[in-house]
Amino acid sequence: MKSIEIGRLLRAGTSGFVVGCNVSKVNYPSFGALVAAPQENGYRLYGLIYDIHIEDDGLVRQLVTVDTVNESVIADNRINRNVPLEMSVLAVGYRMNERIYHLLPPRPPLSLDSIHLCDDDELVAFTSAGRFGYFRHVLRAADLPVGELLAVHLQQTQSAQARSGNPAWLHAATQELITLLRDDYPTLMSVLGAIADCQY
Amino acid sequence: MSLDFQQVQEQVRQIGEGAQAHEQKRMELLEQAWQWLERWNEESGWLLRQIVEAVSHEPMVRCARPTDAAVRKPEPLRVAFPPGQLPERATVLAADGSQISPDRHAEVLYCLINVGAIQMQYGSPEPPRTTIISRLLYAEELFTPAGLISEALLSILRDQHERAILADLAEEAVHPVITFTDGPIELWGAKGSDEETASFRENLQKYLDALERLCRMDVIVGGYVDKPMSDLVVRMLEIASASGKELADLRRYRPLRGVADRDLFESLLKPGERSAVFALQSTSDRQYQGELALHFFYINVGSEVHPWVARVEIPAWVARDDRKLEHLHATLIDQCQMMGGRHFPYLLHRAHETAVVTLPEKEQVTQMIALELRRRGVSVGRPSEKLQAKRAS
Repeated sequence: MKSIEIGRLLRAGTSGFVVGCNVSKVNYPSFGALVAAPQENGYRLYGLIYDIHIEDDGLVRQLVTVDTVNESVIADNRINRNVPLEMSVLAVGYRMNERIYHLLPPRPPLSLDSIHLCDDDELVAFTSAGRFGYFRHVLRAADLPVGELLAVHLQQTQSAQARSGNPAWLHAATQELITLLRDDYPTLMSVLGAIADCQY
Repeated sequence: MSLDFQQVQEQVRQIGEGAQAHEQKRMELLEQAWQWLERWNEESGWLLRQIVEAVSHEPMVRCARPTDAAVRKPEPLRVAFPPGQLPERATVLAADGSQISPDRHAEVLYCLINVGAIQMQYGSPEPPRTTIISRLLYAEELFTPAGLISEALLSILRDQHERAILADLAEEAVHPVITFTDGPIELWGAKGSDEETASFRENLQKYLDALERLCRMDVIVGGYVDKPMSDLVVRMLEIASASGKELADLRRYRPLRGVADRDLFESLLKPGERSAVFALQSTSDRQYQGELALHFFYINVGSEVHPWVARVEIPAWVARDDRKLEHLHATLIDQCQMMGGRHFPYLLHRAHETAVVTLPEKEQVTQMIALELRRRGVSVGRPSEKLQAKRAS
């Protein structure tokens, strides 16, 4: 598996964790991306990025008042200054003993653990395991933009699944969502609306 | 809460009662200073003669002085120069330093000097580069013949490292190179024992060596003093107005006491303008000789609404060269404009950010040393009872 390190763990709980990285790495992670936190003995936690947050500080607040911010100043702030970018990740499963589970992980990752962006193979492996059990974690997270998160996730995964020879994955995933949300019409409409906006 | 606000409030009220009268008096003195500035605007000969006479009575006198014609033709006192062109290509370097002083209450006795520098390339898309040098002093390094290293000595060590890092970076940099540091170039002497003074002199020499290296490389050097409280030009006006008898008793002759140079130049200089260049009359003359001789000018880095005057110290090799002066002037204005409403050079702010050692970092360094010592079987002291009590409260 080729994966790109996107940052290190700042804080964690059973249901999710927060990753910090330098602002210069902002191009790697994206909203809805599947990330992994490798642990010892092949134990590996998975999560979906649901929020990317850039902290400010006194100097940044000062600099935004300038009419034209100098290019060097922008580069300095992004490359040299200790202004971290925070990514909030929703835990959606884990891998243990070569098997993928769509359950909450038995234990969270630890501070400064390295967090990686999953490549296509790992994304396909995770989303093909079981019967979309990880959707439960997303749908349960009432404070998250569930529709947008699922829509982006489906869009990213569909591309990887199609490349690996499974173009029917999106249809099956959408059907599963309709089943899971059959008693929650407003959320179902929101999710389907977001999926439609992604122009499948 | 340990402060008795009732007591303080009463004293604040008393201050308020006297403030208006005090301000009225200050305005009258400022008006007097203006008149004298006008009167001796182009009288550099008179000013010089008076200062020479004053120094013969009072060698410690500290004031502005018209520049020596060999360095730069004296400029009228009321003159103001707009900023010139920024150099098309230049390396701008700023450095700042901080230190952890020896703390006898801590587990281990050590000190640390941390110097940060930042380099910006004008006329190039290259992003700024930061450099940090951290030097830990331990055991014998902490002591001089006079005892434990003093704050004053630590400060000059820090200043010497700041200047040295600028010289090192300038060697590799694309010219012209413009450097500035926070605070004056002139260093204050140690007021301790003979041994302490000897250590100060030794480190001052290293500082001067670094300045000479910068001079040999033809680097533009400036010491930026934000919100200066100095009254160097005001003192020169006082000396100019003094009679022979008053010159003989100069310490008591302070007709403009309470007026600072900033008060004068805030209304004289429009945004972006600099004042005339003055030489610095000081007892430190002996240390800063030839091309290192100290000069200064005032600069308004503020706006029409909020004028903000800073003092910039420069050595003779910068003062004598119009082009260097123009580049330094324009660069400082450009740097302050980068910060928007805060009229302070961007790179100096960043150098400070790069160099500053926070309290948690200090604690971490202390723990690192303590752990290393314990790992090697060396006994480590306990924090003082006072420190532990403070931590617990």
